[in-house]
Amino acid sequence: MKKLIIAIAVITAIQTSIAQENKGTFSGGFESNSQWYLDDSGLVEENPNGFEAPQDQLRSNNYFTLRYSYDKFTAGVQYELFAPNPLLGYFQGFQGNGIGTYYLNFKHENLDITGGHFYDQFGSGLIYRSWEDRQLGIDNSIRGVRIKYDFTDYLNATAFSGNQRVGFEISEGTVTGVNTELDLSTALDIETGIQLGASYVNRYQEYTGPNDNFPAAVGAYSLRGDVSFDKFFIGAEWVYKEPDAYVESNTPSNTNLQDGRAILINTGYATKGLGINGTFRAIDNMTFYSEREAAGNSFLLNTINFIPGYTKQQDYAVTNIYVYNPQAAVIPVEGKAGEIGGQIDVYYTAKKESLLGGKYGTKFEMNYARWSGLDTTFDLSNNTYENSLISFGDKYFEEYSLAIKKRFSRRLSAIFTAVHTEYDGQVIEGKDFYLEGNAFVIDALYKFNNGKSMRFDIQHLGANADRGNWAASTLEYSFSPYLSVYATDLYNYEKTDIHYFSAGGSYTKGRTRVALNYGRQRGGLICVGGVCRFVPPNSGLSMNISTNF
Amino acid sequence: MKKILVIALLFSCTLGIAQTSLPEISLKDLSGKEIPLATLSEDKTIVVSLWATWCVPCIRELDTIAEVYEDLQEEMNFELVAISVDDARSTRRVKPAVMGKGWEYTVLLDPNNDVRRHLGNPNVPLTLILKNGKIVFRHSSFTPGAEDQLFEEFKQIAGE
Repeated sequence: MKKLIIAIAVITAIQTSIAQENKGTFSGGFESNSQWYLDDSGLVEENPNGFEAPQDQLRSNNYFTLRYSYDKFTAGVQYELFAPNPLLGYFQGFQGNGIGTYYLNFKHENLDITGGHFYDQFGSGLIYRSWEDRQLGIDNSIRGVRIKYDFTDYLNATAFSGNQRVGFEISEGTVTGVNTELDLSTALDIETGIQLGASYVNRYQEYTGPNDNFPAAVGAYSLRGDVSFDKFFIGAEWVYKEPDAYVESNTPSNTNLQDGRAILINTGYATKGLGINGTFRAIDNMTFYSEREAAGNSFLLNTINFIPGYTKQQDYAVTNIYVYNPQAAVIPVEGKAGEIGGQIDVYYTAKKESLLGGKYGTKFEMNYARWSGLDTTFDLSNNTYENSLISFGDKYFEEYSLAIKKRFSRRLSAIFTAVHTEYDGQVIEGKDFYLEGNAFVIDALYKFNNGKSMRFDIQHLGANADRGNWAASTLEYSFSPYLSVYATDLYNYEKTDIHYFSAGGSYTKGRTRVALNYGRQRGGLICVGGVCRFVPPNSGLSMNISTNF
Repeated sequence: MKKILVIALLFSCTLGIAQTSLPEISLKDLSGKEIPLATLSEDKTIVVSLWATWCVPCIRELDTIAEVYEDLQEEMNFELVAISVDDARSTRRVKPAVMGKGWEYTVLLDPNNDVRRHLGNPNVPLTLILKNGKIVFRHSSFTPGAEDQLFEEFKQIAGE
């Protein structure tokens, strides 16, 4: 409380001085996500008695950010309040309140220095990425010092060192990194785009065990290059991680060390009306944590690098039940040492007045994704394994999706979606099933006069395993660009007979948005940007407020 | 509860001097060229939309505006700059998506979300109207029909 009063005093003082001199600017935001959990005897997804609300029925995650810039300096702070406990499914280390992140940045000409918490990434993030996602409950910013220097307009370098944020604490291990990027096309003044990059990232954590050869410091190296010419582009990234201890149930093995490797290739073709993108990635023992003991934790704490699932982010309730969650961890007893796979996206627009295009043109979006384990031989008694980075083991996941976006008149448009999914429940969720499913969705939108509109969808997933078939429907009505209401139901009609209904509305005005929802939430993986978090099934009333200034 | 009130109070006392411009940084366009944000609305009015390939309402908004973009350019010098907040996972999808959809907008990439953080971490889509570098209109979320209001606002602001 005292801190807050001081903060208010400081802000008021700064504000007064700014008002007088008219210098510097403030920006910031406030976001509050609250839920009032309610007992629900009908939600028998995990518990035959239904969902039982936790003792703290009302829970709230709140984030208040403030940033002030003056001349070459920018200072920022994020105050967080999780009261009395974080929402269900979030890391308990967030309980309570405090200053989550803070920083001071100085930027002048070619120099950029930050002290405090910072977010950054090298390359695609396969070697290092620190980021924040409030929906996933992730904030793995690094608290320390970061310096970036532009030597010329085509050569820059970044160096940092610090400890990673873990709830309201910081990691025991220290993370240090250097990165350099060279833009050859600017340097040589040529048309073909050529960008090169190289990075080194090190995790140092003290070791007091018996093995003299045990690495307290583990480094990782990455090299990458991107080339683009005319309508084609291709990029590749290679990462090697030095041998690190094998960790089982939070206990590092003293004798069992293994190195890690990864390769990522991205290529595509883009011209007006047609875009194609292909991504391929293979990873072997590539998880990288700022604390050894954190290996495999379910809240994605202490993650130094970023290994998202490269699959299409689906848009509907029934297409989001069986979503691929990347399998980066080494778990010999489960036969896992990494994964290999990729995806292809095709975007195509059929022109107006063409055969497929009709009067308004038609948009097509196709995606194919497939992921498998690496073909690996395990020595279970020693928890070791052998494999090749480019080898295909069991199939974990495969998906074909097609979306067609079509306008029928000035008022009516629709999206037709079809998805075929194959999903290994054993590998991805640890449940005993292998599923094949076909989903179909029709999503229609009708625009009335004066900014009023109505959206209606019907969805079906036919699946041969787990909970079988699902159906869903949504009706959404917008009174104006500011106010809309919706009602939706996702119904597992084959096995559990559970309706996951919910209804709500949102009001947006300028910088502020308020949303209210009442209903049930299906348990399972909630995935944002290819990164997934497990949430328990629950029921209740939720309110989200966000505003920015 | 008390704390929430305090936060609300903190918030209200900063409202008076809110952020009114984009950060002074450069972002890459789809050909890899660095574009300083400060130059975007020099001596003119533009619309800036923060969007992502995975955001359904964002795509709806940009698809809707794309249908009438050429007409609007002629009618009222309408110009839209689409800043993608796609991160490391999906930023490579942006170029094929934009080209495949045939959008004529200037598209910039903000994979580290610097612009978004500068604006206080808003949800996307976030639509801004900038005049001579100053943010004069701001709306988040998109429902069909909102585009008509945006065009009205643009016309009024550009004409002032």
